Amino acid sequence: MAEATLCAKHNASVSAVAAAIQKMTRVRVVDNSSLGNTPYHRAPRVIHVYSKNSVGKVGDRVLLAIKGQKKKALIVGHKMPGSRMTPRFDSNNVVLIEDNGNPTGTRIKVPIPTHLRRMEGDYSKVLAIASSFV
Amino acid sequence: MRIEKCYFCSGPVYPGHGAMFVRNDCKTFRFCRSKCIKNFKKKRNPRKTRWTKAFRKSAGKELTVDNSLEFEKRRNTPVKYNRELWQKTVEAMKRVEEIKQKRQARFILNRLKKGKQLEKEEAINEVKKNIHLIKAPHAGKSKQLEDKMVQQLQEDVDMGDENN
Repeated sequence: MAEATLCAKHNASVSAVAAAIQKMTRVRVVDNSSLGNTPYHRAPRVIHVYSKNSVGKVGDRVLLAIKGQKKKALIVGHKMPGSRMTPRFDSNNVVLIEDNGNPTGTRIKVPIPTHLRRMEGDYSKVLAIASSFV
Repeated sequence: MRIEKCYFCSGPVYPGHGAMFVRNDCKTFRFCRSKCIKNFKKKRNPRKTRWTKAFRKSAGKELTVDNSLEFEKRRNTPVKYNRELWQKTVEAMKRVEEIKQKRQARFILNRLKKGKQLEKEEAINEVKKNIHLIKAPHAGKSKQLEDKMVQQLQEDVDMGDENN
């Protein structure tokens, strides 16, 4: 199991994933916001998933507990294999977001799946700061 | 639209087929079918898995260096659109493909010629070793001839008797 020390490490687990992102999953913040990148002794965790069935897929909003505060975030990739034409990522990636949907950071270096464009909802600002697409 | 190459078997991935995996160092891996995905997850090295093109090329079983293969290499600078260039490219692609197939087939043919030669030598050695099992083509011919002569003489004697 991943031991989050003063700098949160990602230990790669090789077991298959059952449900994408739910409460208590540890996520990886991929933008360049200070809240997402400053080290803390506990990894950022999902405490609520804003979807009908409490399972978070790409494009769903979640509530994160980071550095002792609550913050909303957008899921941009998960380890669970989804539809065949969407990429599977090696970590559960998340982008910090404000309540109105504006991203907190200014750049996203990690590849973002292109099917986010076609999804319902206003992701234009997040897509605008992304540098590469997959 | 682009026809990608499967990371594991180097086969073509057409649109609507296969799956993609993104590693945390942002390297993307495309796969043509679940066979390749499963092998990748098992951490198999494609250069050591015998049925993949990567193995065949690294083991010298298929054509690796050739001018016709240069056309397939990826170029990262975009070319300005030009209709005549596009049309000529399509024609050229057909011709290049033809030539490439012939050259690849020729390479494999030459590689397998050695096998035919070895087979022949093996056969000769086998015959030499087991020559005692084989009946010589001229074996028994002299006996046959003798018998025939005896029979002929007998017939002559009988004929002579008849005439007398």
